Amino acid sequence: MSLGNLASLPYFLPEFAVTATILLLIVVHVAGRNRRSPAAALLAMVGTGSALFFAWMTPAGAGTGLFEGMVVLDGFAVFFKVLTALATLIVVFMSIDCYELTDKSQAEYYIFLLSVLLGMFLLSSASDIVMLYLALELVSIPSYLLAGYLKGKDLSNEASTKYVVYGATASGVMIYGFSLLYGMTGSTQISVIGNALASGTSALPALLAAVMVTVGFGYKIAAVPFHMWSPDVYEGAPIPVTAFLSVGPKAAGFAILVRFFYTVFASPEGAEGMWKLSSSVDWPFLFAVLSAVTMTVGNLVAINQSNVKRLLAYSSIAHAGYMMMGFVLLTSVGLKAILFYLIVYLFMNLGAFYVVVLVANGSRSEEISDFSGLGTRAPLAAVSLAVFLFALTGIPPFSGFIGKVYLFAEVINRGVYWLALVAALNSVVSLYYYARIVKVMFLEEPVHTGELTVAFVPRVMLAILVVPTLLFGVYWEPVIRIAESSVRLLTN
Amino acid sequence: MANLVSTIRFSDPYFSILLLLIIAVGMSVGFVFLSQALGPKRYERIKYSVYECGVDPFTSASVRVSVKFYLVALLFILFDLETAFLYPWAVLFRDLGLFGFLEMAIFVGILLVGLIYAWKKGALDWQ
Amino acid sequence: MIRYAYIIPFLPLLSFFVNLAVGKRLPRKGDWVSLATIGAGLVMSIVIFFEVFRIYDPNFRYHVVVPWLSLEGRFVINAGILVDNLTAVMLVVVTGVSFLVHLFSVGYMHGDPKYSRFFAYLSVFSFSMLGLVLAESFFFIYIFWELVGFSSYALIGFWFEKKSAADAGKKAFIVNRIGDFGFLIGFLLLFATTGVLGYDEVFRGIAEGKIEGTLLTLAGIGIFCGAIGKSAQFPLHVWLPDAMEGPTPVSALIHAATMVAAGVYLVGRVYPIFTPDAFLFIAYTGLLTLFITATIALTATDIKKVLAYSTCSQLGYMILGLGVGGFTAGLAHLTTHAAFKACLFLGSGSVIHAVHSQEITEMGALRKKMPITFITFLIATLSIAGVPLFSGFYSKDMILKSALLFGMKNPQHMILFAGALLTAGMTAYYMFRLVIRTFLGEPKDRHKFDHAHESPPNMWVPLVVLAGLSFSFWYSGWFGDLVKTPASAIPAVHAVPASAGSADSVLHVPSAGAAFAAESAEPKGAGHEPAAHAAAASERPGTPGHAVPAPQGEKHPPAVPHEAAPGAEAGGHGASHEAHLDHLAHVWSMYLSVLFGTLGIGLAFVVFRFRWIDPEKVATAVRPVHTFLLNKWYFDELYEATAVNGTKALSRALGWFDLYVVDGLVNLCAQLGVWASFLIGKFDNHVVDGAVNGVADVTIGSGSFFRRFQTGKLYHYVFVLAGGVLIIFLVKAF
Repeated sequence: MSLGNLASLPYFLPEFAVTATILLLIVVHVAGRNRRSPAAALLAMVGTGSALFFAWMTPAGAGTGLFEGMVVLDGFAVFFKVLTALATLIVVFMSIDCYELTDKSQAEYYIFLLSVLLGMFLLSSASDIVMLYLALELVSIPSYLLAGYLKGKDLSNEASTKYVVYGATASGVMIYGFSLLYGMTGSTQISVIGNALASGTSALPALLAAVMVTVGFGYKIAAVPFHMWSPDVYEGAPIPVTAFLSVGPKAAGFAILVRFFYTVFASPEGAEGMWKLSSSVDWPFLFAVLSAVTMTVGNLVAINQSNVKRLLAYSSIAHAGYMMMGFVLLTSVGLKAILFYLIVYLFMNLGAFYVVVLVANGSRSEEISDFSGLGTRAPLAAVSLAVFLFALTGIPPFSGFIGKVYLFAEVINRGVYWLALVAALNSVVSLYYYARIVKVMFLEEPVHTGELTVAFVPRVMLAILVVPTLLFGVYWEPVIRIAESSVRLLTN
Repeated sequence: MANLVSTIRFSDPYFSILLLLIIAVGMSVGFVFLSQALGPKRYERIKYSVYECGVDPFTSASVRVSVKFYLVALLFILFDLETAFLYPWAVLFRDLGLFGFLEMAIFVGILLVGLIYAWKKGALDWQ
Repeated sequence: MIRYAYIIPFLPLLSFFVNLAVGKRLPRKGDWVSLATIGAGLVMSIVIFFEVFRIYDPNFRYHVVVPWLSLEGRFVINAGILVDNLTAVMLVVVTGVSFLVHLFSVGYMHGDPKYSRFFAYLSVFSFSMLGLVLAESFFFIYIFWELVGFSSYALIGFWFEKKSAADAGKKAFIVNRIGDFGFLIGFLLLFATTGVLGYDEVFRGIAEGKIEGTLLTLAGIGIFCGAIGKSAQFPLHVWLPDAMEGPTPVSALIHAATMVAAGVYLVGRVYPIFTPDAFLFIAYTGLLTLFITATIALTATDIKKVLAYSTCSQLGYMILGLGVGGFTAGLAHLTTHAAFKACLFLGSGSVIHAVHSQEITEMGALRKKMPITFITFLIATLSIAGVPLFSGFYSKDMILKSALLFGMKNPQHMILFAGALLTAGMTAYYMFRLVIRTFLGEPKDRHKFDHAHESPPNMWVPLVVLAGLSFSFWYSGWFGDLVKTPASAIPAVHAVPASAGSADSVLHVPSAGAAFAAESAEPKGAGHEPAAHAAAASERPGTPGHAVPAPQGEKHPPAVPHEAAPGAEAGGHGASHEAHLDHLAHVWSMYLSVLFGTLGIGLAFVVFRFRWIDPEKVATAVRPVHTFLLNKWYFDELYEATAVNGTKALSRALGWFDLYVVDGLVNLCAQLGVWASFLIGKFDNHVVDGAVNGVADVTIGSGSFFRRFQTGKLYHYVFVLAGGVLIIFLVKAF
């Protein structure tokens, strides 16, 4: 059941909040005449915060189609809206302190950031392939701008250029896949497409469409072999942007990946929370292979990195690989594991990047050697980073471990043992490069002498990020409940 | 899983697209590779210089196109589409009533903010 | 308050974080934080203890569980706490000793540059130990077990600038790890067969027959290996003497009272899983330990080493006690030992602090300079020597009685009693040797003697408290009533025969694990246990001093006949025979232990005290004591020439054995690497090391390989994208 345009408006409050903030930011920027002012940051915070609030407060109408079926509002969409809004809010805080962004008027930066957020909102809830494409582009294009934000820096321009061209290619391939789907089924609504495909159509075009759509989504979540843009982009972009890209669009990409494939190429079956393939496209196996390859390539290449941002880029590629494990299982338990992992991943990854921001503010570079002796120079930051890195590895008692437990448990339960083995080996490999940073921090003499003062607000921020990472390793009951309820409502 | 290739039916309308795809990709890739593989490889500096109707090239080939052309084109597309939306709205203006008016006002308003932004940023200056 | 017992471990944990993070900046460097938290824990433990005491029910059990990690209900790990009589006692012991050690450390560690970190480590140790005591599943006890190991590593190697201390810390951790490996195997065996992790559930699984026979024995021995490591039993006792490198308060805390007690506690906690064979293994391990280490203590001259070996020996007693079925005995000794051993160690710390030396050859006559230390040390020594009226007598006597009873019922194992008895004498001897040479007689080093002074109050107050707790009246009566042997979980194992001496009664160990089976109240198996069991058991509340077993568990299953269960037998004939045996054992063990104890003490005085009479000759003869005594004191010389001389030689031999063979065995892990590579040489280097390095190299190499794909050239990226699409499509299509 889908509501008409006018009736849908009350459900669109988060998006309105974001849009209003963007417009106001433009006004602020224009009125401010390119000067730096705290008004922009404040406005961005308020806007994102209110969007988060509205998203959280969305009445749980299970599976309401809005705007004549363009967008669907279910628990799954709400979950991702809240997640991406939270990520954006944290990144806004991160950006205030970052040295790279201090000598510019920041209003434009926030405009782009919030535009991406708007895109992510739409992407999480899109149920029509046209809206899907629009949302994807709305996520991508401001990201291109964000990546290239530091106009004076070569790396930033390079990052932006590569991002644009690659993104355009991937989008192009994806939209061609969409056109094939439309041609085969005659509708742009993904649920209708799903039903049509289920009733048996030519398999080869369906496969081609599936592969091409995978290109677009895979590019967004940086899965192998569509990941090659991410190291360069992550390295060249300003650090908060990298942090944002590694969490926000990735999460939104997963949202649409799950929704699209589970609606179009699978259908609910029998017991609650199980799906079966509805067309002859065996995409779970494909994605299982992609998942394994993604994890492996991500972890192996990260070993040799000396730039922390590039290392974290490869690590986030690997984590996308882990999350894809839950995707291939066709059960809601697997989805629940992905959602849980995304929550803990948000805190771990943003936290790690945040410490990188703090260190880079002092040393103006992001090499691993800049972290040497951090244990003595800035113990709070060093310990926090150690917590985040060990959480990313998946070591108890941190939250990352519990996330991996859920993913592994379901994979093993479904009998896909080889994938679990690959993932376990990969986790071991990842320990090396994460622990190497910890070792440099605590066991090496500082290259830059002198204390690194971390002001009060960043300390609070660090605490806000560290506490969930520690807490969810020991007590995570509410989080898993949220994940469970969000999945339960997907099937509509 | 059955071999998907065996599901290809020549009568399927998509088959022609598949054929087109194979031939197009095959030919383009093929030509490039064939010329690289079969052609003689002798490096002559002149071979790699720019062709300007036989005359010696007197300016660098990479002329920098001013970005203002691009900006104008971009702005044109945006506002041209705005106009395109205005046409059907204008035709049905009476029937849409107040709601229609407000809706279009908001649409134009948003684009107006964008225009002001572009104006203030100097995108409309030709210099 | 019992409901809130789970808070107790978190108090010192809080102190750990505070002291580690901001300790240096707090007034007094944050020692009061530690003291306050452990003090609060102590108060809570005492309150809980009194609540439990008021209930006065041997079957008291407070067990609460919440599911912690639940994977769709298929696999569940529960978190929770278990408080029963034993737990309540342990809580008081751990928090009490820990608090006194904290107090003592304020004085002892004064001025140390890492002062606040010391308290942080003490706190984390307390946290780990308390968590271990409260744990209600194998999973959590293992986690806390490892945490205790880590904390002890940090504490022993506290002065890591000294290489010997750093090595000692490592040795402790590694030797513990070996034991823990056995523990892990044991509990994984249990998990693999029963599928659950909580104690009760595992017991039920055993009762239902999911694991039995040899496999169950192996599991029991495996778990006991953890105790071998943690409680410094032979052959893993080698870390304990070396661990004296740590500060003396650490020795008191870890080696007297708590960490080493963890192994004994574990055995007590999982008592129902042990088969008769496993019990035998436990008992003999205890015997070997107590004997060997006691003989070494006879000749040691470092005060802390003597106490260290003495600790090993007493732990051997506890383990022996548990192995022969004296559950209450072993745990009573654990409790009493905590008090008097901590007192001894802290007393030695007081002495060391005053004299700045650890060698008793440099001490003497310190009672004049340090009266409080002397008195408390003496009291604790009287206790450990097994002098009546003191706590050590109470618990050691129980152990001896259990051993004797076991030996009476299984004569082939009488050596357990004999060895324990003999060693009791040795214990009295070497402990009094220590007292005499340290506190009595003449000072050996005038300079040190002059500088010696009594310790400040924050050091002798704990001594007084601990010495005060070393009297038997504190424990007799209620301990035996409340801490009772749990019923075995093993079904249908040798039910106690109606009459003693029946053919199938191989070992008189816990049996009839029907307490944990879901169903019937009748134990299955051979024998003729009538329903009179239940009636008989309920009629006999425990008599003081005797460990009358009663089953644990909410239902009231028939009594589990354990060592000499008077009255819980079919027919009056068997009942009175058991009672008779029990009484006999009790009387004999008591007399014999007092006899041997007296002999030991007397011998110590004779050997060392007679310096009065001929100081120079005794002074020179202290080392070659056997030659001197042989010439001057015929009675003693006879004893010396035969028993003492022989024992000393044996002690040296065993010391050599301990130092080179047993230690060497432990070092063999490292040695093997050297020997193997020497013998196998290049083969080892290229194949074994090569394999390990190869894996690492392949990983890094493949990292480099894949890294080269990232060329930086955009068209390469797009090419890979297109290629990827093509490959995926082709693979799926064909």
